[in-house]
Amino acid sequence: MPARNNTAALPVAAGGGGLRLRQPLRRLFLKSAGDAQSESGLKRAHFQEWRLPFWLLAPQLFILLLFFFIPSIRALIQAFQLTDPFGATTQWVGFQNFERLFRSSVYWSSAQVTLIFTIAQNVLTLSIALLLAFASNHILRGRGAYRTVLLLPYAVAPAIAGIMLAFLFNPRVGPVAHMLQGLGLDWDPNRNSWHALSLIVMAASWKHICYNYIFLVAALLSVPQSILESAYLDGAGPVQRFLRISLPMITPTLFFLIVINFVYGLFETFAIVDATTRGGPAGATSILVYKVYQDGFVTLDLGSSAAQSVVLMALALLLTFAQFRFVERRVNYSV
Amino acid sequence: MRRFYGVLAGAGAMLLAGLSSAQAATEIEFWHAMSGALGERVEELVKKFNDSQTEYVVKAIGKGTYDEVLNGTIAAYRAKRQPEIVQSNERSFLTMVNSGAIVPTSELMAQQGHPIDASQFIAPVVSYYAIDGKLQAMPFNSSTPILFYNRDHFKAAGFDKPGATWQELEPQLDAIKAKGVSKCAMVLPGDYEWSFLENYSAVNDIPYATKRNGMDGLDTSYVFNKGKLVGQVERMKRLVSSGVMQLAGQGIIPIQLFTSGECSTIIASTASHAAVVAAAKFDWSAAELPYEQGVTPKNSVIGGAALWTLKGHTPEKYKAVAAFYDFLAKTDTQVWWHQATGYVPVTTAAYEAAKAQGYYQKNPTREIAVVQLMRGTPSDNSLGFRIGNSNQINVAIMEEVSAAFLGKKPVQQALDDAVARGNESLRRYEQLNAGKK
Repeated sequence: MPARNNTAALPVAAGGGGLRLRQPLRRLFLKSAGDAQSESGLKRAHFQEWRLPFWLLAPQLFILLLFFFIPSIRALIQAFQLTDPFGATTQWVGFQNFERLFRSSVYWSSAQVTLIFTIAQNVLTLSIALLLAFASNHILRGRGAYRTVLLLPYAVAPAIAGIMLAFLFNPRVGPVAHMLQGLGLDWDPNRNSWHALSLIVMAASWKHICYNYIFLVAALLSVPQSILESAYLDGAGPVQRFLRISLPMITPTLFFLIVINFVYGLFETFAIVDATTRGGPAGATSILVYKVYQDGFVTLDLGSSAAQSVVLMALALLLTFAQFRFVERRVNYSV
Repeated sequence: MRRFYGVLAGAGAMLLAGLSSAQAATEIEFWHAMSGALGERVEELVKKFNDSQTEYVVKAIGKGTYDEVLNGTIAAYRAKRQPEIVQSNERSFLTMVNSGAIVPTSELMAQQGHPIDASQFIAPVVSYYAIDGKLQAMPFNSSTPILFYNRDHFKAAGFDKPGATWQELEPQLDAIKAKGVSKCAMVLPGDYEWSFLENYSAVNDIPYATKRNGMDGLDTSYVFNKGKLVGQVERMKRLVSSGVMQLAGQGIIPIQLFTSGECSTIIASTASHAAVVAAAKFDWSAAELPYEQGVTPKNSVIGGAALWTLKGHTPEKYKAVAAFYDFLAKTDTQVWWHQATGYVPVTTAAYEAAKAQGYYQKNPTREIAVVQLMRGTPSDNSLGFRIGNSNQINVAIMEEVSAAFLGKKPVQQALDDAVARGNESLRRYEQLNAGKK
């Protein structure tokens, strides 16, 4: 249990610095981070006494405790143990699990796959979302309909998206695969690691383009019309206006999305991998978070799985830190 | 939050169920991993038992795949909410035996006054599930791999039936592809570690691991990276890279590629009979596993699962479990189960009864697995496998072997790496379970 809860909760910590967050958990993190920074406005006026805020926070803190802190601590403990799945025998083994992990070539190749996967997924998602946002911003008729259609994939459960793509691209029976083979490409994600990797990149991006798209559309709308109009009068075409004016002005959103996409790619893509390729062929798509699941829940190697989730947790903390430290500082928020 | 409500709803449902059955019969839970047609058969089986008497009610609950059932059981056991009976695959034998969470079946049956004689079960089942003649689990669904083939395809390619040895079968498969009869002469099953490697070593009488494949102790080591097994993986690789043997991949299960008529052959569990009978719209048949030329083939080994009784329940519940097991071991039940599912009859009496009915004259392919399991005298290499951390090692071996298929490494190196990874897991299992069987 700890391993899974843990990874599910990680994005909370990593994404906490972002601005538009949906889940109550995230809101909590954001609020407390904000409190530390400023003592002004709403807070000072309404919450002079500690009890009310405490009780308002308590339910969420309780959930956080239950689903994040307790599992994380248990994972941390388990990372230093060798244990029978049923808990009959437990031995303290110090850093043996970590040593085994870092000695294992399989783990390093998984890390390498993860790096390629997250970067490719990030680039693909962001560029397509940007293209769509740019295009749909220039459509006047039926803009709402386009937007709705573009947002639909977000409502599809990752497992269903994964199975659908696996089927469409299955080299024996998939219609898209047959099309690719018709074009002369020897498409076979069962025997070609790059094909398999590109398949999960596609699946993960397809699911996440919508999320990026919403933010980009909102950001583009906030670009002041006056500047765009004056550029128009100066003779700048739509592409030039987009590249020279809109794009620089939405950098905060872009940076936010890059971080979110990394977090998504690192921690939330497990279901897609499980449904699309199951980490195969030969570990070619076994990204780190999928390995945590596979080692913990399929092969019952709890010690190693816990050690891996601790490593991932450290990575998430590092990402959050980097975001606060470097990214937030450089981005221009004055739009 | 959703999870939270789920827990609440679950607790409420349990409370209601508890109230309604309080004064009725003793109810026990049976978690299983059978889905689709097989899941329906389990429901029928349980209904037969429930209708046959009034004291006990068995509730069958499907919990997904074998892995998911085991995971669910572990989580439930740790939370002290385990079911009475759980179905777990043959691979998890040592995990279950050494879990400290089970009541050995022999012990349970003796205590409840239904002493069970291990010798009533067929030999390959006993050698797998009994330690020193004492059954640890209740044999339930046992299978073994056989070769299913599309007779239309074989006829079209000019063959009567598949050859008995690999040396005869391979050119046939090549010909089926070359003559354009089918683009896929064979489809690789998802559990090929079991059907193509473990069973291959049993049938051809070569050691897979030392200490009689782990039967003699936890200090066993893998040795399959030499001799015939290297040749077998080379053969598989050749078949895969020439496109004669195809991989199903995700999105479709291998047996579907056979039943749809796309692939001409598949080596699959005899339990696939259910799927083949239901879906195959062509003239199909089955044959025994191919073996190496010049070898007198030994028995194959079982797969499938057994029922484990979990600790921590009241004597009344165990009485119900024993009554259910007693019902399962009955010849009538066994014959029905065997014919309804395609699994082998686990008792000798059930096999004899099915034979006496003339069942195998009408359904010759149903007997192949039984005959194959019982042929010859089991050697040290064909007794079965008793491997710790088996799920883990299975994944590692398949990963390495498929790396060889992909051409990422040479076959020999892939097998060396598989052995090294397997042995590392074995040593870890030995370290954790020092002093156990």
